[in-house]
Amino acid sequence: MFKKILVVNRGEIAHRIIKACRELDIVSAAVYSEADHQALHVRRADESYLIGPSPAKESYLNKEKILELAKEIGADAIHPGYGFLSENADFIHMVEKSGITFIGPSSDSVRVMGEKLSARRLMKMNNVPIVPGTLEPIRNVEEGRKFALEIGYPVMLKAAGGGGGKGMRKILSPELFDISFERAGSESRKAFGSDELYLEKLIQKPKHIEVQILADKYGNYIHLFERECSVQRRHQKVVEEAPSVAVDEQTRQRLTETAILAARACGYYNAGTIEFLMDHEKNFYFLEMNTRLQVEHPVTEMICGVDIVKEQIKIAAGRKLEIRQDQLSIKGHAVECRIYAEDIDNNFAPSIGKITHHRLTSGPGIRIDRGIDLMSEVPVYYDPILAKVIAWGMDREEAIARMKRALTEYQISGVITNIPLFSWVFKQKKFLDGTFDIEFLDTEFLPLVPGKWKGTPSEEFETAAIIAAALIKSAEQETKAGGNRIGNTNQWRNLNYE
Amino acid sequence: MNEYIVTINGRKHKVGITDSAKVNIDGELIDTTISKISKNSFLLRYGKKVYEIVARRENADQFEFLIEGIYIDVLIKTSVQEVAGEMLLERNRSGRNSSIKAPMPGLLIKINKKVGDKVQAGEAVLLLEAMKMENEIRSPSNGIVKEIFFKEGDSIEKDAIILSIE
Repeated sequence: MFKKILVVNRGEIAHRIIKACRELDIVSAAVYSEADHQALHVRRADESYLIGPSPAKESYLNKEKILELAKEIGADAIHPGYGFLSENADFIHMVEKSGITFIGPSSDSVRVMGEKLSARRLMKMNNVPIVPGTLEPIRNVEEGRKFALEIGYPVMLKAAGGGGGKGMRKILSPELFDISFERAGSESRKAFGSDELYLEKLIQKPKHIEVQILADKYGNYIHLFERECSVQRRHQKVVEEAPSVAVDEQTRQRLTETAILAARACGYYNAGTIEFLMDHEKNFYFLEMNTRLQVEHPVTEMICGVDIVKEQIKIAAGRKLEIRQDQLSIKGHAVECRIYAEDIDNNFAPSIGKITHHRLTSGPGIRIDRGIDLMSEVPVYYDPILAKVIAWGMDREEAIARMKRALTEYQISGVITNIPLFSWVFKQKKFLDGTFDIEFLDTEFLPLVPGKWKGTPSEEFETAAIIAAALIKSAEQETKAGGNRIGNTNQWRNLNYE
Repeated sequence: MNEYIVTINGRKHKVGITDSAKVNIDGELIDTTISKISKNSFLLRYGKKVYEIVARRENADQFEFLIEGIYIDVLIKTSVQEVAGEMLLERNRSGRNSSIKAPMPGLLIKINKKVGDKVQAGEAVLLLEAMKMENEIRSPSNGIVKEIFFKEGDSIEKDAIILSIE
């Protein structure tokens, strides 16, 4: 087993990986940028090293410096977390050559799955259903127009080099093709340095279903069932759950078999996720493979009892998978809410600042993975995820009830969070009955922003707020006046807000 | 007795604090007790229930309270301030001076105007980057750029005045 792991990430995921290291009795080494010198992952790690200035380019994305540091401090493995360098095939290749172990798949697997068209071709060759469309880059606008007609409108134009919604255009009818082609091309060039585009048929109102797999370096593959992540805003997931209410036993069988087929096709090892779009008839299509640990991995851990991060480390260290497929089953239901520092009513602007108050929630079925603590700074430079609240229950109803309870107890102050969004989600019939799809938030929630989505607080809460404001303000005035006009026994002394 | 005007969800309430454990809200006397349990959290009892309240000060007159997962914004003024404020508002309506403040902290990516340029209300004047997102900041009024207090590449605190308009 490894002696020391360098964790090349920040925030909640670095914290999560450090926990796994500690449980396995491995020394954890953290890296941090200037902005993160007091971040929670730095507080928790056994060792921590300043890697550079605050912008990610100069710190968490600095491949050479990170590799040099790993050698210098005697780390025998690197865990990349998600984002940053986790799916950077060049970095992984550098690590492989250096003799240090990368906790993740091979650079070859990452490269082939990272290039959307090569992934599509590989999947097709291996009988994994892909969204109907092109397998080669479109050479020019005329060719694109022709393909679009063949596939049939509406179509999706996508960047071969990318992901995350960039260089992506939904085209509803032929007259919109040319302008969309031009815009998607220029967006893709800016984001990924290549304007190669391809076409897919638009799957109408699909669900986002993904399968977690684990594979060792000896060709053993298992799956940890599916997750559903259809609650998303502009391709960013907000609520995830496992299992999916829309997946029946027969569909699950086909989905998980297909996922393992896809992983085998690229000679995959370590933890990975195969993402699918699923239509109303429960036909599913390969979307992409995430060749890394995912943000939403805890919901799977909660329903299977497997610690995915520890499995990643053991697989990387050359151990055989100890878990057999027939030992696994789905126990209960888990839901995750991603807590972002964002001001929904101010156009989802990131909210930056110091966490001035932080009190965790706990109790039956609740888990929190977090990157913040009291007095943490939420810097301007990185992804605004603060924490993830995960709720487990015997069934979906109980998991949701526990989540709602936990969110009334979790106190974060100092930055604006998206916590109020979840109480909206958990009131929606479409969410509760499971008929929601990936357009759910964009079509039902966004039109209510700003303001109209918020329920008004109960009259009692309002009255409590009114009383508190007046009492705090009054205590301040008394202190300023130096006197104590309200009297010595005044219960409202010392209320001054600091 | 200290008197306040408290605005919550667009509604104004008249609140009086007397010298007993009572608060007068819109003429109704309410029994209450409050204690401070940490730097910014309070326990308030009224009616049948104790409320745990986390307070965040936005500025001298504004609080954000967090009560059981619900954020409530409260504006509070002394009755004297309230009257003065209304007079000031009246005066501002007739004047034209305004400014652009940073709605969030961030990096100033681009300034589309220079001193002396005309601006239209709603016109994009600045580009502010925060957490990898670019945000266009628009002019609140018509006028002429009087002064610019930052340059491109500067990092800006929330509520800092970036530019003034005459």
